Amino acid sequence: MLSVEGLKIRYGEVEAVRRVDLTVESGEILALVGANGAGKSSTLGAIAGLVRVAAGKVVFEGVDITGLAPEVVARKGVALVPEGRRIFASLTVADNLRLGGAVHQPAAEARLREEEMLELFPILRRYYRAKGGNLSGGEQQMLAIARALMGKPRMILLDEPSLGLAPQLIDTVFDLIAELRRKGMTILLVEQNVALALEIADRAVVLANGEVVLSGTAKELASSDLVRQAYLGA
Amino acid sequence: MFAQQIINAISLGGVYALLALGLAIVFSIVGLINFAHGELMTLSGYALLAALVFGLPFPLAVLVAVSCGALAAVAMERIAFRPMRGASVTSLLLTSFAVSSLLKVVFQNGISARPQAVAMPGWMTGAFSFGDFTIGVGPSISIVVSALALILLETFLRRSVTGTAMRAAAEDFDVVRLMGIPASRIIATAFLLSGLLAGLAAMLWVAQRASVDPLMGFTPVLKAFIAAVVGGLGSLPGAVAGGFLLGIIEVLLQATLPAAIAPYRDAIVLSGVIAVLLLRPQGLIPAVRVQRS
Repeated sequence: MLSVEGLKIRYGEVEAVRRVDLTVESGEILALVGANGAGKSSTLGAIAGLVRVAAGKVVFEGVDITGLAPEVVARKGVALVPEGRRIFASLTVADNLRLGGAVHQPAAEARLREEEMLELFPILRRYYRAKGGNLSGGEQQMLAIARALMGKPRMILLDEPSLGLAPQLIDTVFDLIAELRRKGMTILLVEQNVALALEIADRAVVLANGEVVLSGTAKELASSDLVRQAYLGA
Repeated sequence: MFAQQIINAISLGGVYALLALGLAIVFSIVGLINFAHGELMTLSGYALLAALVFGLPFPLAVLVAVSCGALAAVAMERIAFRPMRGASVTSLLLTSFAVSSLLKVVFQNGISARPQAVAMPGWMTGAFSFGDFTIGVGPSISIVVSALALILLETFLRRSVTGTAMRAAAEDFDVVRLMGIPASRIIATAFLLSGLLAGLAAMLWVAQRASVDPLMGFTPVLKAFIAAVVGGLGSLPGAVAGGFLLGIIEVLLQATLPAAIAPYRDAIVLSGVIAVLLLRPQGLIPAVRVQRS
């Protein structure tokens, strides 16, 4: 469904991503794991059109989307839930969802979609008129995911969904990710909590210093010595 | 007399609020302080003059003039600012100064450096009485127009998807784009609204003075900039609050200061501005903006 070939990203003189190759198949969860600064978020940003690609190619459903503007990538069916949630704090939950569904024409379709989201995330119905900034971290993460799903994407890019959340909320968010996969959503998951990511993913790719150092099924990686020593504390 | 001064104060504050709001809308989205905003005002003034010279009825002439301000703002964004998208704040600021200077020269050489009289309808300079109070028609219209414009703008920003996207873009533009909403649409709408507000402010300004000159927009926009800073740069409610505050203080000082101190009015007002900024460096109603590395 998505393939990234020879991706290179530079921030001035700094080479954040030196070479990343990966593919995500339809309906699977691919976990992209690695230490801080490995290039995971930059890779997601490049796929979503937020980060400039220095070299390489991003192909989604057979269409080259390299270097397209974020709004164009979103309209092609790829949604990014950014790191730190980045919900609109001064807007209500209703308005956050409304913007997520702004691509829908006619508006009636957006309302139907919103109802589906409120069914999936009952907490958002409870705080429907509350400002996004007044929600807790976990609730904001729910809102960020719901907002991304409002546009009916075929693929979702999740950047550090567990970041800054209490352990019980992390479980809730990951249960939700598993639920999305069961419904057929294709997910590219960036996560620093490697154990958690490998538990939920079908396959995984390990990045270090902007390069792919290991890839395979989640099970294979969970039992690999390199992953166990470097990321799982074994 | 006091009631008349209050009306004048609110009227002037309304004009500053419209202008400050126009500056704030653009700043909140593209981080640009558009110093060519004053020239949009001047252009609308000349458009009104031309429309009246061509014999258009007054309401239609006003409509044409305000539309000219809005279209000029969109053209300004398309021609001057869009190629600079992503440039540094300094580059954007210099671009806005360049556009401003260019338009001033065009007005001075293409039309005239001297003020041109605008034939306003006689009823606009009249007054009406409530018991002992005599209130000018011009300032009253100015208040009604400012209030209506603010209400309509607020409704647009709250109720429409584009308006909501603009409020969101002021907070985090990248994420708005991730929702599939085109950056160009948001930015063009911001300039369109700022042009409309500059056009309206120009009508109210010309109505009080019945003339237009190439530098007409300079002073009010400078005041509007001060108002926007006092209110909290990039904050829309702040711009409105700052505009009214500045207008009211200016008029009340003018009315109450002894003749010997009156020439220092602007100095006193600006000292007040410094005091406000010392107490609240982010302005009266700070803008919500996401800071990212």
